[in-house]
Amino acid sequence: MILQGYQVTLTPVGEDDLDLLRQWRNDPDIARQMLSQEPISEEQQQAWFKKISRDPAQQHFVIRFRDEPIGSANIKACGPGKTLKTATTIEPGLYIGDPRYRQNILAFAPTLVLNDYCFEQLGVQQLRAVVKATNTAALNYNQKLGYRTLNSGDLVEITLNFEDYQQHTRAMKALLSRSATRTNP
Amino acid sequence: MTTADPLYQVFADSLAIPLEQVNDELTYNTIPQWDSTAHMVLVAELENHFKVMLDTDDIIDMSSVAKAREILAKHGVTA
Repeated sequence: MILQGYQVTLTPVGEDDLDLLRQWRNDPDIARQMLSQEPISEEQQQAWFKKISRDPAQQHFVIRFRDEPIGSANIKACGPGKTLKTATTIEPGLYIGDPRYRQNILAFAPTLVLNDYCFEQLGVQQLRAVVKATNTAALNYNQKLGYRTLNSGDLVEITLNFEDYQQHTRAMKALLSRSATRTNP
Repeated sequence: MTTADPLYQVFADSLAIPLEQVNDELTYNTIPQWDSTAHMVLVAELENHFKVMLDTDDIIDMSSVAKAREILAKHGVTA
Protein backbone atom coordinates (compact mmCIF):
# COMPACT_ATOMS: atom_id res chain seq x y z
CA MET A 1 0.00 0.00 0.00
CA ILE A 2 1.25 3.45 -0.93
CA LEU A 3 0.45 6.29 1.48
CA GLN A 4 0.44 9.91 0.35
CA GLY A 5 -0.12 13.34 1.83
CA TYR A 6 1.45 16.58 3.02
CA GLN A 7 3.81 16.58 -0.01
CA VAL A 8 5.39 13.16 0.70
CA THR A 9 4.78 9.61 -0.49
CA LEU A 10 5.41 6.49 1.58
CA THR A 11 6.06 3.39 -0.52
CA PRO A 12 6.63 -0.11 0.88
CA VAL A 13 10.32 -0.98 1.15
CA GLY A 14 11.51 -3.04 -1.83
CA GLU A 15 14.75 -4.88 -2.66
CA ASP A 16 15.99 -1.86 -4.60
CA ASP A 17 15.80 0.33 -1.49
CA LEU A 18 17.93 -1.84 0.77
CA ASP A 19 21.38 -0.42 -0.01
CA LEU A 20 20.28 3.13 0.64
CA LEU A 21 18.38 2.17 3.79
CA ARG A 22 21.42 0.35 5.18
CA GLN A 23 23.63 3.30 4.38
CA TRP A 24 21.28 5.64 6.25
CA ARG A 25 20.74 3.24 9.17
CA ASN A 26 24.50 2.87 9.65
CA ASP A 27 25.10 6.62 9.51
CA PRO A 28 26.41 7.47 13.01
CA ASP A 29 24.09 10.47 13.28
CA ILE A 30 21.08 8.20 12.79
CA ALA A 31 22.37 5.08 14.57
CA ARG A 32 23.10 7.19 17.67
CA GLN A 33 19.39 7.72 18.27
CA MET A 34 18.43 4.07 17.76
CA LEU A 35 17.88 1.71 20.69
CA SER A 36 20.41 -0.64 19.04
CA GLN A 37 23.43 1.06 17.55
CA GLU A 38 25.20 -1.98 16.12
CA PRO A 39 26.01 -1.53 12.43
CA ILE A 40 23.74 -3.60 10.17
CA SER A 41 25.45 -5.93 7.68
CA GLU A 42 24.06 -6.74 4.24
CA GLU A 43 23.32 -10.30 5.40
CA GLN A 44 21.47 -9.10 8.50
CA GLN A 45 19.46 -6.71 6.40
CA GLN A 46 18.50 -9.42 3.90
CA ALA A 47 17.27 -11.62 6.74
CA TRP A 48 15.35 -8.66 8.20
CA PHE A 49 13.79 -7.89 4.82
CA LYS A 50 12.63 -11.51 4.36
CA LYS A 51 11.07 -11.43 7.81
CA ILE A 52 9.25 -8.14 7.48
CA SER A 53 8.02 -8.87 3.96
CA ARG A 54 5.65 -11.53 5.31
CA ASP A 55 4.97 -10.12 8.77
CA PRO A 56 1.41 -8.76 9.17
CA ALA A 57 2.46 -7.07 12.42
CA GLN A 58 4.71 -4.50 10.77
CA GLN A 59 5.11 -2.46 7.63
CA HIS A 60 8.14 -0.50 6.48
CA PHE A 61 8.16 2.38 4.02
CA VAL A 62 10.57 4.58 2.11
CA ILE A 63 9.66 8.27 2.37
CA ARG A 64 9.85 10.15 -0.93
CA PHE A 65 9.74 13.89 -1.46
CA ARG A 66 9.89 15.46 -4.92
CA ASP A 67 10.40 11.90 -6.22
CA GLU A 68 13.57 11.36 -4.19
CA PRO A 69 13.97 9.00 -1.23
CA ILE A 70 14.61 11.04 1.92
CA GLY A 71 14.03 8.64 4.79
CA SER A 72 12.37 5.61 6.25
CA ALA A 73 9.24 5.03 8.31
CA ASN A 74 7.58 2.02 9.86
CA ILE A 75 4.64 0.94 11.95
CA LYS A 76 4.52 -2.06 14.29
CA ALA A 77 1.56 -3.63 16.07
CA CYS A 78 1.89 -3.72 19.86
CA GLY A 79 0.77 -6.76 21.83
CA PRO A 80 1.34 -10.48 21.46
CA GLY A 81 -0.29 -12.00 18.40
CA LYS A 82 -1.56 -8.66 17.16
CA THR A 83 -1.35 -7.60 13.53
CA LEU A 84 -1.59 -4.09 12.15
CA LYS A 85 -5.25 -4.81 11.42
CA THR A 86 -6.12 -6.09 14.90
CA ALA A 87 -3.88 -3.98 17.15
CA THR A 88 -5.33 -1.26 19.35
CA THR A 89 -1.88 0.27 19.82
CA ILE A 90 0.71 0.81 17.13
CA GLU A 91 4.30 1.95 17.45
CA PRO A 92 5.44 4.18 14.60
CA GLY A 93 9.09 4.85 13.83
CA LEU A 94 10.83 7.21 11.48
CA TYR A 95 14.14 8.73 10.51
CA ILE A 96 15.09 11.26 7.88
CA GLY A 97 18.16 9.95 6.04
CA ASP A 98 18.71 12.85 3.68
CA PRO A 99 20.60 15.50 5.69
CA ARG A 100 18.94 18.31 3.71
CA TYR A 101 15.63 17.53 5.40
CA ARG A 102 16.69 16.55 8.93
CA GLN A 103 16.42 20.15 10.13
CA ASN A 104 13.28 20.95 8.21
CA ILE A 105 9.57 21.34 8.88
CA LEU A 106 9.09 18.63 6.23
CA ALA A 107 10.18 16.05 8.81
CA PHE A 108 6.64 16.23 10.21
CA ALA A 109 5.01 15.27 6.91
CA PRO A 110 5.68 11.50 6.91
CA THR A 111 4.58 11.26 10.53
CA LEU A 112 1.31 13.00 9.75
CA VAL A 113 0.72 10.58 6.86
CA LEU A 114 1.48 7.55 9.03
CA ASN A 115 -0.53 8.76 12.02
CA ASP A 116 -3.54 9.58 9.86
CA TYR A 117 -3.32 6.08 8.40
CA CYS A 118 -3.10 4.44 11.82
CA PHE A 119 -5.97 6.39 13.39
CA GLU A 120 -8.28 6.83 10.41
CA GLN A 121 -7.71 3.68 8.33
CA LEU A 122 -6.49 1.09 10.82
CA GLY A 123 -8.64 2.51 13.63
CA VAL A 124 -6.09 2.21 16.44
CA GLN A 125 -6.83 3.75 19.84
CA GLN A 126 -3.35 5.04 20.51
CA LEU A 127 0.17 5.30 19.22
CA ARG A 128 3.16 4.55 21.40
CA ALA A 129 6.85 5.30 21.22
CA VAL A 130 9.90 4.63 23.34
CA VAL A 131 12.57 7.30 23.03
CA LYS A 132 15.98 7.64 24.64
CA ALA A 133 15.84 10.34 27.32
CA THR A 134 18.92 11.89 25.71
CA ASN A 135 17.11 12.26 22.37
CA THR A 136 15.57 15.63 23.19
CA ALA A 137 14.97 16.39 19.51
CA ALA A 138 12.68 13.36 19.19
CA LEU A 139 10.95 14.10 22.50
CA ASN A 140 10.27 17.70 21.47
CA TYR A 141 9.14 16.54 18.04
CA ASN A 142 6.69 14.05 19.54
CA GLN A 143 5.42 16.59 22.06
CA LYS A 144 4.46 18.84 19.14
CA LEU A 145 2.34 15.97 17.80
CA GLY A 146 0.47 15.72 21.10
CA TYR A 147 2.26 12.77 22.73
CA ARG A 148 2.05 12.51 26.53
CA THR A 149 4.74 11.00 28.73
CA LEU A 150 3.75 7.72 30.36
CA ASN A 151 7.05 6.66 31.98
CA SER A 152 10.37 8.45 32.29
CA GLY A 153 13.83 6.99 32.83
CA ASP A 154 16.76 6.28 30.54
CA LEU A 155 13.99 5.44 28.10
CA VAL A 156 10.85 7.56 27.91
CA GLU A 157 7.57 5.90 27.01
CA ILE A 158 5.09 8.22 25.34
CA THR A 159 1.60 7.72 23.96
CA LEU A 160 -0.74 9.63 21.69
CA ASN A 161 -4.52 9.38 21.34
CA PHE A 162 -6.53 10.55 18.35
CA GLU A 163 -8.07 13.57 20.07
CA ASP A 164 -4.72 14.97 21.23
CA TYR A 165 -3.23 14.24 17.81
CA GLN A 166 -6.00 16.14 16.03
CA GLN A 167 -5.78 19.12 18.37
CA HIS A 168 -2.01 19.45 18.15
CA THR A 169 -1.60 19.00 14.42
CA ARG A 170 -4.44 21.01 12.91
CA ALA A 171 -2.27 24.03 12.09
CA MET A 172 0.67 21.96 10.92
CA LYS A 173 -1.55 19.94 8.59
CA ALA A 174 -3.00 23.10 7.09
CA LEU A 175 0.49 24.47 6.51
CA LEU A 176 1.73 21.33 4.79
CA SER A 177 -1.46 20.93 2.76
CA ARG A 178 -1.27 24.19 0.89
CA SER A 179 -0.73 23.96 -2.83
CA ALA A 180 2.81 23.36 -4.04
CA THR A 181 4.12 25.22 -7.07
CA ARG A 182 7.15 23.11 -7.84
CA THR A 183 6.72 20.49 -10.53
CA ASN A 184 8.43 17.19 -9.91
CA PRO A 185 10.85 16.07 -12.64
CA MET B 1 20.04 56.17 13.37
CA THR B 2 19.73 53.03 11.30
CA THR B 3 16.58 51.08 10.54
CA ALA B 4 16.54 47.37 11.27
CA ASP B 5 16.37 45.00 8.33
CA PRO B 6 12.58 44.37 8.10
CA LEU B 7 13.14 40.67 7.50
CA TYR B 8 15.33 40.41 10.60
CA GLN B 9 12.67 42.28 12.56
CA VAL B 10 9.95 39.84 11.49
CA PHE B 11 12.16 36.91 12.50
CA ALA B 12 12.97 38.51 15.85
CA ASP B 13 9.30 39.20 16.56
CA SER B 14 8.06 35.79 15.37
CA LEU B 15 10.69 33.78 17.19
CA ALA B 16 10.67 36.10 20.24
CA ILE B 17 14.44 36.52 20.16
CA PRO B 18 16.62 39.66 20.25
CA LEU B 19 17.17 41.32 16.90
CA GLU B 20 20.93 40.90 17.37
CA GLN B 21 20.47 37.14 17.32
CA VAL B 22 19.06 37.19 13.78
CA ASN B 23 21.41 36.83 10.83
CA ASP B 24 21.21 35.25 7.39
CA GLU B 25 22.78 32.02 8.65
CA LEU B 26 20.12 31.44 11.32
CA THR B 27 18.55 28.05 10.54
CA TYR B 28 15.36 26.23 11.52
CA ASN B 29 15.62 24.05 14.63
CA THR B 30 19.13 25.22 15.52
CA ILE B 31 17.80 27.37 18.36
CA PRO B 32 15.00 26.28 20.71
CA GLN B 33 12.91 29.29 19.71
CA TRP B 34 12.72 28.32 16.02
CA ASP B 35 10.74 25.11 16.31
CA SER B 36 7.76 23.91 14.31
CA THR B 37 5.29 26.06 16.23
CA ALA B 38 7.40 29.18 15.72
CA HIS B 39 7.78 28.26 12.07
CA MET B 40 4.01 28.47 11.67
CA VAL B 41 3.94 31.85 13.42
CA LEU B 42 6.81 32.99 11.22
CA VAL B 43 4.99 32.03 8.04
CA ALA B 44 1.92 33.97 9.13
CA GLU B 45 4.00 37.01 10.09
CA LEU B 46 5.96 37.00 6.83
CA GLU B 47 2.71 36.81 4.90
CA ASN B 48 1.14 39.64 6.88
CA HIS B 49 4.16 41.90 6.83
CA PHE B 50 5.20 41.44 3.20
CA LYS B 51 1.69 40.84 1.81
CA VAL B 52 2.54 37.55 0.12
CA MET B 53 0.96 34.11 0.10
CA LEU B 54 3.50 31.36 0.59
CA ASP B 55 2.84 27.90 -0.79
CA THR B 56 3.94 24.64 0.78
CA ASP B 57 7.15 24.47 -1.23
CA ASP B 58 8.09 27.90 0.11
CA ILE B 59 7.27 26.83 3.66
CA ILE B 60 9.41 23.69 3.35
CA ASP B 61 12.29 25.46 1.60
CA MET B 62 12.34 28.30 4.13
CA SER B 63 14.92 26.63 6.35
CA SER B 64 17.02 29.73 7.06
CA VAL B 65 16.80 33.51 7.08
CA ALA B 66 18.78 33.59 3.81
CA LYS B 67 16.32 31.17 2.21
CA ALA B 68 13.42 33.31 3.41
CA ARG B 69 14.99 36.28 1.67
CA GLU B 70 15.32 34.26 -1.55
CA ILE B 71 11.72 33.08 -1.35
CA LEU B 72 10.41 36.59 -0.75
CA ALA B 73 12.45 37.79 -3.74
CA LYS B 74 10.72 35.11 -5.83
CA HIS B 75 7.43 36.73 -4.79
CA GLY B 76 8.72 40.14 -5.85
CA VAL B 77 9.60 41.35 -2.36
CA THR B 78 13.01 42.89 -1.72
CA ALA B 79 13.62 42.20 1.94
